[in-house]
Amino acid sequence: MVDREISYRMFAKELNDSSSTIHSTVDEAITSDGHTPNYLLTPGGVMVNRVFVTGVLTEVENVGSDVGTWRARVVDPSGAFTVYAGQYQSDAAIFLSSVEPPEYVSIVGKVRSYKPDDGPVVISLRPEEINIADEDARNRWILDTAELTLDRLDAFSKILLACGNIDSMDECMEGLGIAPVLSEGIGMAIRHYGVDESYLNDIRSVVKKCIISLDLLSEASDEKDIDTLVLELMNELDMGKGVDYAELLSVAVSRQLNERTVDSAVRSLLAKGQCYEPKAGILKLIS
Amino acid sequence: MDEKYAPHIEELTKALANVDRSKVEDEFNLLINYRVPISEAKRTILKKFRSLDSVTTDVKDLSIGDKGVSLETRILNISEKAVDLKGERTIIFSGVLADRSGLCPFTSWKQLALNAGDAVRISNASVKNWHNRAEVSISAYSEVILLDDSSLPDISELSVTPVKKLIDVGPSDLFLSSVAAIIDLYHRNVEVKGEDLTIIEGILADETGRLPFVSWSPLDGMDIGSMIRFKDASVRMYRGVPSIHLDSSTPVESVGADEDLSFDPLAVNKPPEPLPISNVLKAEGMFDVAVEGNIVSVRPGSGLITRCPVCNRVIIKNVCRSHGAVDGLQDMRVKLILDDGTGSVLVMLNRELSEIVYGKSLHESFSLLGKTMSMNAIFEDMKRVLTGRYLGVRGNTSRIEFGVTFVTKAAWVPESDIEERVPLLLKRLDGVE
Repeated sequence: MVDREISYRMFAKELNDSSSTIHSTVDEAITSDGHTPNYLLTPGGVMVNRVFVTGVLTEVENVGSDVGTWRARVVDPSGAFTVYAGQYQSDAAIFLSSVEPPEYVSIVGKVRSYKPDDGPVVISLRPEEINIADEDARNRWILDTAELTLDRLDAFSKILLACGNIDSMDECMEGLGIAPVLSEGIGMAIRHYGVDESYLNDIRSVVKKCIISLDLLSEASDEKDIDTLVLELMNELDMGKGVDYAELLSVAVSRQLNERTVDSAVRSLLAKGQCYEPKAGILKLIS
Repeated sequence: MDEKYAPHIEELTKALANVDRSKVEDEFNLLINYRVPISEAKRTILKKFRSLDSVTTDVKDLSIGDKGVSLETRILNISEKAVDLKGERTIIFSGVLADRSGLCPFTSWKQLALNAGDAVRISNASVKNWHNRAEVSISAYSEVILLDDSSLPDISELSVTPVKKLIDVGPSDLFLSSVAAIIDLYHRNVEVKGEDLTIIEGILADETGRLPFVSWSPLDGMDIGSMIRFKDASVRMYRGVPSIHLDSSTPVESVGADEDLSFDPLAVNKPPEPLPISNVLKAEGMFDVAVEGNIVSVRPGSGLITRCPVCNRVIIKNVCRSHGAVDGLQDMRVKLILDDGTGSVLVMLNRELSEIVYGKSLHESFSLLGKTMSMNAIFEDMKRVLTGRYLGVRGNTSRIEFGVTFVTKAAWVPESDIEERVPLLLKRLDGVE
């Protein structure tokens, strides 16, 4: 029996930093009755085939010569997932053809990577399931993902600390009490990407940034007030096509608001996904 | 032997270090005589013999369906039995074997000159299903050799019934001794071999977990809330979940309140804490556990269904496989995959839970069908309502062909505890820029 692939939780940053794919060997195909999933190896050491994401859908566009292929961007606080749905994801394609961005969505997707002749590997998701979500679900996804990512990073650090010597690494990892599938992935990440503690700390600070983007929401401080004020202001100025950023600033200043606090409030609203930039210089609220 | 095959034989012999060269040669020639291509012949031989190479497995790690396993065990008891096999009188041997990790029944289809207490190495055995638990099956292809007697613990040590916490009870425990609290108990009338019996069923709990129990003899003076100590109870498996069987030969005594206990009998009746799904996947089956995760897929077969009024099977167009044309009963169910990022389980919800989770009753769903009467409309609507949502479930798990199934007794939407989790996470990230 072949177990169903786990829907991993990971931030867009970790997924998009990946470039190495793992294909099943012929031997494995024989022993697993022809079930040959391909995996993407993330620098965090996850051999990922499927992910679950809850984020903000910010763009949808019909691409290619096929009428039915849609490309979408789903944003988390660390970056964006690129999503493609074509004729083999017809339910998702229908969903994307009718959804109005911005919108909170949940996606269960298979990870695909494509390496153009020149240029870096492009990572995308093919949705198996896609559905409308809400802000609460998105916030919880960030926390789930932060927890699971930190657990993996802790295991990674443990391996680096105990088994820095690459030669005997595989045997060394066995005694650490880390799930074999994870330690195998971590071993490969060390070999393929040369991941060291400094990269892990980079990811940790991304995780921290993601959590802080949430913490602002629940903090009952002055910051929240200015966020709310700016939101109200945007709502007031938006005649349906969004708000010009320069106009927003000038109106805000005319109402005795500090230009820099307004600027940082706008950026925090963007990070939290409460507003977005459909075009450079234009802001729009997420309704 | 054709010279041109020599390099292939060489290669195979190297790959199969523990297999005799002549055996490989014979097998290879046989396949070549059947005009099997060389590459196929090599594959077949590798597959056939590789299992002989295998490392020794612990008894507790045996799982049904394993092939080519090797064990180093002691025979605890053995007896011979004559059976009819395709009209032929055959002698088989059966008994129980054990190592440090646990006990396991075995059956041998080939002659064994063994006695209780012998230490043996068994190789190339397979593991079959016997009363829902693993049984080592020794066939004509298996090899049994006597080991040095000192290589395993003494028989008296291996046959002692282990004293275990409930969470540690698994398929390799044929017998068990423990202390636990009775947290549920009821009487049931059953008919055994034409005789009416009243048996006691219930649930035992300690600080580690809970398991169902059955008592075939009255438990005088014991009721819900009692603490009991039992010895040598037999453990049976049903759908991967162990159940504890007490009878008149099982010593059961009640534990006084003055005794030192490892747990508080009043505290064990709390609802189980949610476990990571990866933990649930490790077991063949678990009794009364909880998990939380996201619904990553609502499976076909969810929605409105029709059941046969006689056998309860799902039927289509009011025709039952065994009962022909029947007047079907309407029912609703949800089959979904719950995933928490560490693993996934298939969750089954009955009508009552489906109505709660889906938010529409069976009758309301019918009104949704409209004129088309397409059951698919409900399935599509369920997908729209449920996909991606958080769900918590409590119930029993069992491993089946398609993964681990969760038979649900309760379902809820997990609390959104963002305010508590954020500071904990930030604390973990203390010192990170």
